[in-house]
Formats: sequence, C-alpha cells, structure tokens
Amino acid sequence: MKRAQTLLVSVLLAASALLVTTPGAFAYRSDTWSNFNSFTARCLGFNDTYPQQLYWNAQSLMSWLGYSPRGGTVGANFTRSAFLGNVLPDWAVYVHSHGDNYWSNYPNVDSGFLQDPGTTRCSDFSQDVIRSSTIRAVTNGSPYNLVIMSTCKLGSASSTMSDAFQIPMTKTNAGRKFYLGYVYTTYDSAAYQFESNFLSYLVGGGSWYRRSLYGAFLYATYVGGYESPDAADPFQANWWGNPYYDGTPG
Amino acid sequence: MSVLKSSTTLKTAVAAGAIVLGLAMSTGSLTASSLSGVPSDPPAIDAARAARTAVTSTELHEDSSPNVFARAARTRDAIGFPVGPRRSGRHVHDGLKQLDYDEVAEVDASGQPLALTQFDNAGLLVAAIRFDAAAPAVARISGDGAATSALSALTACGVSVGGQARTDANDLAGGWDVHWPRSQAGFAVRGDEARVHVWPDGRIASVARVEHTLAAAPARQLTESDVHLAVTRQMDTWFGGSDAGYVVDNMDVEWVGPNAAFDSTKVGAAPQPYRLAWVANIRPTGSAAGAVRLITLYVDAGDGTVIGGDVVE
Repeated sequence: MKRAQTLLVSVLLAASALLVTTPGAFAYRSDTWSNFNSFTARCLGFNDTYPQQLYWNAQSLMSWLGYSPRGGTVGANFTRSAFLGNVLPDWAVYVHSHGDNYWSNYPNVDSGFLQDPGTTRCSDFSQDVIRSSTIRAVTNGSPYNLVIMSTCKLGSASSTMSDAFQIPMTKTNAGRKFYLGYVYTTYDSAAYQFESNFLSYLVGGGSWYRRSLYGAFLYATYVGGYESPDAADPFQANWWGNPYYDGTPG
Repeated sequence: MSVLKSSTTLKTAVAAGAIVLGLAMSTGSLTASSLSGVPSDPPAIDAARAARTAVTSTELHEDSSPNVFARAARTRDAIGFPVGPRRSGRHVHDGLKQLDYDEVAEVDASGQPLALTQFDNAGLLVAAIRFDAAAPAVARISGDGAATSALSALTACGVSVGGQARTDANDLAGGWDVHWPRSQAGFAVRGDEARVHVWPDGRIASVARVEHTLAAAPARQLTESDVHLAVTRQMDTWFGGSDAGYVVDNMDVEWVGPNAAFDSTKVGAAPQPYRLAWVANIRPTGSAAGAVRLITLYVDAGDGTVIGGDVVE
C-alpha cells in the first residue's frame, strides 16, 4: 500500500513538473469565436460555410502554437457575455464575424464586431455589437500575445480594436505581441486563403528554427491570389506587434 | 504601468490555477469548462478534414537533393536575395493549399529565415520571398521603374506573363505591388496572377505565381439575360418569404474555382479545375444587409448551375 502511494505521488509530481515546464500545457488559454448563425439559411437562405472553416483553421493555429486550454466556440454560444466573461484569462483571441469601425460620439471611432445572434433571430447591430471600449474595460491593461480579428476593417489605421488588447499600433513592439486584421471589406474566401497561408508557413517551418508571425504575415501577403469585392476594397491584411515574435504563449 | 503589472500578475495566477485545474482534470474531477463557464471543448476538428488539410514536410539535404538547392540558389541570386550562413530544405505537402512544393530557406546565424523559394513538382516557381527589412531608400523608384524591375524578376524566375501589369503603391509595406492578372481566352482567371513586390529602392522583395488548371470552356455559353434569370431564381429561393431583398450590382464572365461557399457537403472536397462562369455580385437589402455586405455567385456559363461563390460579411 505504501509502495502504491509512493508511486501515485511520483506520478503526480512528474505530471506537475511536466505541466509546469511545458509552455502552454494547461497554462495559456486561447479563445476562438466564430459567428455562424448570422450566415445561415434561417437568415440568408443559405449556409455560409466559411465561418466553420475559419474556425477550424484558427483552432489548428492555436493548438500548433501551444495555447491550451482552447475555448470559445462556433455558433450560438459566441455571445457578448461569453466573450467578455472569458477574455481576461486569455492569452490569445481569435474572432471571425462582421466587424467595422463604428462611430462613437462622432468623429470618435469605437470599433466592434457582432456576436452570434443565436438560433432564433438574425444579426442586429444594436443588440449584437461588442465594442472595443467594452473589451478594453474588461481586459483592463492585461497583456495579450496574439489577437486575430478575422473581420472586415479591424486592421485599418482607424481601428481601436488592438488597443483593447494593449497591443500598440506600431510594428516595433517588444515582447510577445501580435495583432492581425484586415484593412477593408474582405471576402470570406480571401480571409480563409490568407489565414491558411499564414498557418501553412508557420507549420511548414524547419525543425531547427522557428518562424515568426510577421514572417507568416509577409508570406501570406506576398503569395497573393486574393480576390477583393471591388477596387475601393483591395485585399489588404495588416499587423501590429513584435516582428520577431514566433507566436508561442508566455 | 501598475495596472499592467497587476493584470500580468492576475494572468500568472490564472495560468497557475489552470495548471492545478489541469491536474484535477487528469483525475477526472473537473472539466476545462469549469474555468470559464463556457465549453472549452468546442466541436472537434473533423479527423478526415484534419488529415486532408495537414501540412507535412520531409527534410531535403544538399547532398541528396542537389538540384533543388541549385535551382533555389540560382533564383535567389538572380533576384538579389540574401545568402544565409545556413540553408534549410524540405519537400512540403500543403493540404491547406492543396499543393506540393520544394522549399529552400536561407537562415541567418540567429535562426531567423532571411528568404525562401518554393517550386512545385513541375519545377515552376510558386513563391520567392525575402523576410529581412528594407533599408530606408535614398532614391525611390517610380511605379514604371518598379514594373520594369518586376518584369525582369519574373523572367529571371522563369515566369512568363502577358498583358498589361497593374502597379499599386503599397501604403503599408512601402514600395510597389506589381500584378499581372491571368486571363485565358479573353476572360480573367479569378485570383490567378503573377505578383511582385518591389521595395522603394527598387530591389525585389517577393515574386509569386498563382495559377490553377482550367477546364474546357462550354461549347455554348448562356447569355447575360439567361444568367440574370438564373441569379434571380436563386436569390428568390434564398430570400423568398423574408423581408430581405437584393440588388444585382454587376455580372461578368470569369474562370472560377468551384467551391463549397454555399454547400457544406463540398467542404474539404478535392479542388476541381476552374470553370467558365458568370460572376454576379449581389448586394443584400433589408434584414440580410445587417450581416452580409455582398454575395457573389458563380453561375456555370454552360449550364447555369451555381457552382460556388463568396461572401463579404
């Protein structure tokens, strides 16, 4: 019996050591949120399949970078209260939804995105918007490693979203900080293709060197092939953060 | 600063708590959702999809794959890319892009990639990209000068292009983006292009080529009025019975990739050759406009079926 107890303690100690020494293991939470019900047959007559595909890619990215546990959801549980209730402990956040730089006491901008409207109604800005000012109040100065806004316009110079996560809008940040967003209105296919290229580059890295998120941004940008809805909205992703950061949590 | 520090401390505490929770979970006494009140275990990635979209690579070495490294070095030198003290080669099967390629990266002494080249199985350039930073330019190249440099780089990389280039100033990265959109039989191939980014000083930052296989054009093509009817029928099916409306902005004929945009049964299906289609841009009005800014339909130019499309949310 004593031997069995000793073995159990050893196993727990080994497990503790493993969890403590393995970056990301049960330590660095990420949330991936994807608005699905705004884009389903109930509201549009067809089911837009990109929210699910983008969600899968984002989950793969968070997993590969070592964020764990990985929360969030695609669909009805992506509510304002769920987002705001979970964002503080996060180290990485991904959102796919309808997003924009909304006026707030013109000419001030308070960027935002829409929560999933759930299964009984369709999107309504007044009910569904999650503003950057609200997020900022909740994050309350807390640091974030990686924030991806897979929406329209939240990568533009007028966006206030990166500030909500304490990531300054410069490309010379120090530390583990990276924010990615799109500048103009963006086709779902272009976002999916860009994020696939972003992920491909990171995953395809060599065994003896690690690739940076900025490198992934450059790669995804320069391989091209992205469609844009019109000449006034060319496909353009943007980033702020540390150009040397490899995306690992900490 | 004190706010940041206290929040960092909070996060560290949360992380430490998560470690404890992780241990608890290993005993089966808790689930991760206890941390937040929201399921931390969203729908698992479909195993078949994960396998299809996996990115796998096999290391290549200079002694066993001399041709791969020699081709990469020729391209690197031809477009003035930096030479690193080390090189890393690999054959990549990229399930996300449904593409196989040989890649050689130049890596600096600190382990950061300086540049890479990728060639497909036919030996054609996929991409050549440098990752170091452009020095501030003393003299800035003009758009015309950038287009000339870009064309030279494409030629050096073995990429042939036709038609007129489009040169755009890149406000974010600086310099110029020079594109040659691909067309076939007089119709644009949607998304296909040769593309070069030129730094403000005229040096080449990237060369890339996107080119898809094309199916044969249909023997008989639908007229615009036929297609307008097909689009109206489709939109009325989708929006009928709701207060959503729509306006057909414009339509033109392009080569497009059939996709799963509106059909979940096709998600993850093997890519098909591009087909000639009418591309219709439709602006939703009424309730649908709250979530979607634009719906783009691909209507097969031969038989009028919807073979895919796109959405701007």
